[in-house]
Amino acid sequence: MAAEDLPSEFDVVILGTGLAESVAAAAFSRVGQRVLHLDRRSYYAANWASFTFNALLTWIQQHQEEPQPEEVQDWSSLLEEGEELIYLSQSDSASIRNVQVFCYTSEEDEEEEEALNTTEEEPKPDSADPQAQTEPGPEEASHTEGDEPESLQLVPPAAQNQSEPSKKKISYAHLVREGRRFNIDLVSKLMYSRGSLVDLLIKSNVSRYAEFKNVTRILTFRNGRVEQVPCSRSDVFASRQLSVVEKRKLMRFLTSCAEETEEQRAYNGRPYMEFLSDQKLGDNLQHFLLHSIAMVTEATPTEEGLAATRHFLRCLGRYGNTPFLFPVYGLGEIPQCFCRMCAVFGGIYCLRHSVSCLLLDTHSNRCKAVIDSRGQRISCSHVVLEEGFVGADRKRTNTPPRFLSRAVLITDRSILPTDSEQQVSMVTVPPAAAGGPAVKMVELSPSTMTCSPGTYLVHLTCPSIGPAHQDLSPLVTSMFRTPESPDHEGPSVLWSLFFNMADGSGLEAEGHDLPENVYLSSGPDAELGHDHAIRQAESIFQKVLPEEEFCPPAPNPEDILYDGDTLGDTADGETGDTIGDITDKPPPPERRDGQNLKSE
Amino acid sequence: MQQELLFKVLVIGDLGVGKTSIIKRYVHQIFSQHYRATIGVDFALKVLQWDNDTVIRLQLWDIAGQERYGNMTRVYYREAVGALVVFDVTRASTFDAVLKWKDDLDSKVTLNHGRPVPAVLLANKSDQLGSQQPKLDSFCRENGFVGWFETSAKENANIEEAARCLVENILNNEESPVVEREPASLILSGFTNTNKDPLNCSSCMKQ
Repeated sequence: MAAEDLPSEFDVVILGTGLAESVAAAAFSRVGQRVLHLDRRSYYAANWASFTFNALLTWIQQHQEEPQPEEVQDWSSLLEEGEELIYLSQSDSASIRNVQVFCYTSEEDEEEEEALNTTEEEPKPDSADPQAQTEPGPEEASHTEGDEPESLQLVPPAAQNQSEPSKKKISYAHLVREGRRFNIDLVSKLMYSRGSLVDLLIKSNVSRYAEFKNVTRILTFRNGRVEQVPCSRSDVFASRQLSVVEKRKLMRFLTSCAEETEEQRAYNGRPYMEFLSDQKLGDNLQHFLLHSIAMVTEATPTEEGLAATRHFLRCLGRYGNTPFLFPVYGLGEIPQCFCRMCAVFGGIYCLRHSVSCLLLDTHSNRCKAVIDSRGQRISCSHVVLEEGFVGADRKRTNTPPRFLSRAVLITDRSILPTDSEQQVSMVTVPPAAAGGPAVKMVELSPSTMTCSPGTYLVHLTCPSIGPAHQDLSPLVTSMFRTPESPDHEGPSVLWSLFFNMADGSGLEAEGHDLPENVYLSSGPDAELGHDHAIRQAESIFQKVLPEEEFCPPAPNPEDILYDGDTLGDTADGETGDTIGDITDKPPPPERRDGQNLKSE
Repeated sequence: MQQELLFKVLVIGDLGVGKTSIIKRYVHQIFSQHYRATIGVDFALKVLQWDNDTVIRLQLWDIAGQERYGNMTRVYYREAVGALVVFDVTRASTFDAVLKWKDDLDSKVTLNHGRPVPAVLLANKSDQLGSQQPKLDSFCRENGFVGWFETSAKENANIEEAARCLVENILNNEESPVVEREPASLILSGFTNTNKDPLNCSSCMKQ
């Protein structure tokens, strides 16, 4: 674990461990490029990271502090003739804004609970003081429990009298104590079961590092109520909210969608809404099809709406009754899976380590080396930079920069309870007003290993109009019980976090004021799927190595044969230990197609 | 009926202490003075006929020498049920790092109920030293190692014994009730592997 100098020569230096950078790292390393992969943060996955509850509190604290002025060290003494330095930005503050935290549950366990639960361990004295951790900024002080003692009693009286009189109130101390059971993602996305991320995981064998849960149902919030959206054939037949006529119409529509027809083409360029309306499907079905299945707005053109509908239908039934998968332990696992693959193929990893500047060869206008934060000169042929490293003056973006609004809620029960407590739900919420943003909501149960038993983790995401709290808190109070909605019969919010994150889709692929062998990658975008990051990684890879295959399958460790018999102490030092025969043949086609899905 | 158990075991310790040598000696019965960093291999598999009723498939996960700055991904630690912590008896600094590795291990992975995963300490390259090696019994007791062995990958000394000690401790943990994960998780399988059940047998919680 000792700190030591890095090797001084690589093929590719990659800064940032977000999804696009990590996929690119794995791809380069897999085909034999020497990769150095750095992140200035102390954790993997950049803005794609997931945190335990306690680590998230630390992250919040970091992003509520005023950014430290950057200390620019002068490395010009390392320059040789014909070289110039391009300094990189070292602050990590620009991509996250307006972080606000609200705790609506009692600080400590209730006394009676302690009495019932004598075996449970007391909060450790050395675990950081929860009060200090959630110390509110001045602008939000009025919302926190300290100033609102009445908000401490939040268990609905009705719920108490109902079936579960013994149900414990979950305290803040409990959340901290159970903090390790949480894996709270900074981004909220789902994996389309036939999307580019799932295809890549299977193709590359990176899938072996992760496990997944099916999203078990699609819900929608409509007229103040949460309803289940029937999307598969069996859902449609089982649905109790649809009439027989509606069921027939929906089935006919979904079947007819599969292929493009003359009738559909006639609507090209006109809103999908209009097309649906002319199908005479009725309000119910039209709502489901527009908002929950196509997940588009009322203004989206018909061809886009139909393409989205077809994509949804194609993904249905591959692994479950909805088109979506979610990784066990959270989305933050996925970049780390690709990093592991990169490391296994020789990539070198270093966190809390950055690059101060690029070294430009003025003659060729190429970056020939980088200088790391310790002043070490590391030569390389290509550099991939997370866009946060590059000042706005050198970047080309769709102006103005866009943001996402995010909210994370820890609640005490599901928004639509069923017999199973392990539902994983995608919830679509149409815009409150025409032209407003649709909110995508994902409710995770403890089965995803992202929250502790007895709690649910709710992620909300929409394109920003204002600060996240302003954009999303009206929806939170209309769906959940909070101090602002004390009579709501929905789940109680125990703790919530709001923040804005830069929308990565604004970055242009070309045209930056950078050497030609320096490539920019961006952070998470607003889409539900992962296509943007995967496309970006693949396009960077192909610019550098147009002839090479992108992420060919890695051999299965159990298929690797060592030629141990012919080697031994006498073997040649250079090759004595190398793998004699990697059975690196691609898996049989039916396996590559991933149809063969094993569940435990 | 014969049961088959699959255990993920981590092999950790500073650069150059002989982790890869130990794995290769144990799994493939080979030793070379000159190992390059292992490329393209996640883990090595050792199949043990433990007793008449039990076959154990031991996955030994090397830290891919590349993650040598101590920044392992969670993927590496996830679902591990035991660890071999290795130091080089000829380099004191690698012994000093042992506790850092142990702390890192305990902070990243625990069994159910928060207990640490069993770890065995390996004093490797014992062939290069006289017999005056100090005893580490009390060190192990104080720092939560279930045992220690003076090993030599070169002379094939004590590696089997150390692994056996670790497996015994893992099996002791196995007897505690296994927490069911319901409903089942999906594995997106890209290759033919009849044994992709890494979790069935091990009752281990996330980091």
